[in-house]
Amino acid sequence: MASATVIEISSLSKTYGSGSQQTAALRNLNLSVNQGEIFGYLGPNGAGKTTTIRMLLDLIRPSSGSASIFGMDVRDHSVEIHKRVGFLPGELSLWEGRTGQQIIHYVASVRGDTKGITKQADELAKRLQLDTSKRVRDLSSGNKRKLGLVLAMMHSPDLLILDEPTNGLDPLVQQTFHEMMDEFRDKGKTVFLSSHILSEVQAICDRAGILRDGDLKAVESIEKLMNVEFHWVDVQFRDVVPEGLARQLQQASAISHVDVNGSRVKMRLVGDFDPLLRMLGDGYVKDLRVEEPSLEEIFLAYYSDGTEVR
Amino acid sequence: MRGIVFANTLRTSWKQVLYWGLGLGILGFYIDFIASSSDIIQGYADLLASMPPALLQAFGASSVELLRSSEGWIVSVFVSEAAIFLSVFAVMAGMNITANDEQSGVMDVIMSLPIARSTYLLERWIGYAAIGLGILLLCAAITLLGLVLFGVDAQMDLVFISILNLYPGALLVMTVTGLLALVARRRAFALGLSAAFVVASYVFNLIGGAASGAIADLMQGLSFFSYTQGEEIVLGNYDPASTLLLLLVVLVGFALSARMFISRDIGV
Repeated sequence: MASATVIEISSLSKTYGSGSQQTAALRNLNLSVNQGEIFGYLGPNGAGKTTTIRMLLDLIRPSSGSASIFGMDVRDHSVEIHKRVGFLPGELSLWEGRTGQQIIHYVASVRGDTKGITKQADELAKRLQLDTSKRVRDLSSGNKRKLGLVLAMMHSPDLLILDEPTNGLDPLVQQTFHEMMDEFRDKGKTVFLSSHILSEVQAICDRAGILRDGDLKAVESIEKLMNVEFHWVDVQFRDVVPEGLARQLQQASAISHVDVNGSRVKMRLVGDFDPLLRMLGDGYVKDLRVEEPSLEEIFLAYYSDGTEVR
Repeated sequence: MRGIVFANTLRTSWKQVLYWGLGLGILGFYIDFIASSSDIIQGYADLLASMPPALLQAFGASSVELLRSSEGWIVSVFVSEAAIFLSVFAVMAGMNITANDEQSGVMDVIMSLPIARSTYLLERWIGYAAIGLGILLLCAAITLLGLVLFGVDAQMDLVFISILNLYPGALLVMTVTGLLALVARRRAFALGLSAAFVVASYVFNLIGGAASGAIADLMQGLSFFSYTQGEEIVLGNYDPASTLLLLLVVLVGFALSARMFISRDIGV
């Protein structure tokens, strides 16, 4: 059974400024996010990730195009949508003079269920090891981020929109966060998560979109992205690398990034292994390791010259 | 949930009622003390009577005879000063409606909650309007207490109404500041514009009142200070049209603010 579409973005564009000062922050974005998936929205700073998120939340208005969440237009039904959405901004600002508890209580009041939500907030705070009795101004950036996560998740939303959620979190809390995201998905809920931390996206997301300079370059499942047709091959010879092998490898069209170091040669191989294995025939291969490219390498390949890896 | 933002505004800002109300009330209390001496009042009135009308206007009074009565003295001296101080509060309150939260980034969190922009703006506006009213009521209470304690022979109802009559002007400054903050988008710029609006209004009223002719009348007509009718209340010449005009401008200003806040990008 096909999953319902939670986020539907059609030809969404946003430009700032006017006349000669006009800058396109996002161009003609088309994207769908399905129920029950964790979608990673990747891109460097200034790529348009936050602009997209702010339009989804109706904080800023598109120059053209439209977006809907749960089948409702984000502009016309923002209040209805926000009831079912939890949001963590990239740069979280809260009332500095107020305690975490006071802020949780206020946000819960606006959401209309103070008792139930604050109970859930207490559980989340305990899990994230957050002291909510402190004033925001006394919290470290990591703890402020934890409070932001509590505020985003305490009403058990159907959709979480998180902008760089783990910025400033220590590795242990990051691990807890990953577990929470898995549990969230297991309940059939959806996460739209922007990040420039590729390992994080790789670890928790089902699909990822790669954004560059306001253009969506690719949308693929993490599994598929990881299945690109290049591999890192590390060959360890018993003796030195056979004479002429390095030159032979460098001349092969499917092989690049050849690095010879004593009895070891490392390279990037595109396509089948057979041509490489034939070239290695003259030497005694002690060890051969094949590594999948990391999402970061795939990402860099996308970004290096605009040409896609596959 | 209706009223949550309003209640939160009161909860976080109620101390302003105390600080501003006490501050202005103490000023009223001090003026009451002076008013308890008829010699001082008469001497002051005699001094002003020897001055040109323009200078009389600069001292906040349009009529020397008014200054000879206790309530006239209190209204001319205290209420005109209180109007200036209250304008400072109103500018700060206007900035607090949306601009400060928008500048700090808190607005992103607020506007991601299930609350309509119009509801948020209205509840914030009503919250600060209530705080302004609280300030005036506390100020009036302390001033009236001073009249009783110092045994000033003044018509307390006129003093009370004159103080409350500052309210429409304060609402106007608050609303205009809120609107300017929404239009200007930069807090410091909006603050500068609002301060300029208050100062220009004061100067226009001063010069317009002191001079005569069409331009002077126009200048005074453009100043919201000229529509606060403390003296007219004491003299029995109160014209409700002036108050209604101020309230109408407040209404139009709020409608423009709501339109602006609903249609524009947040935090850009």
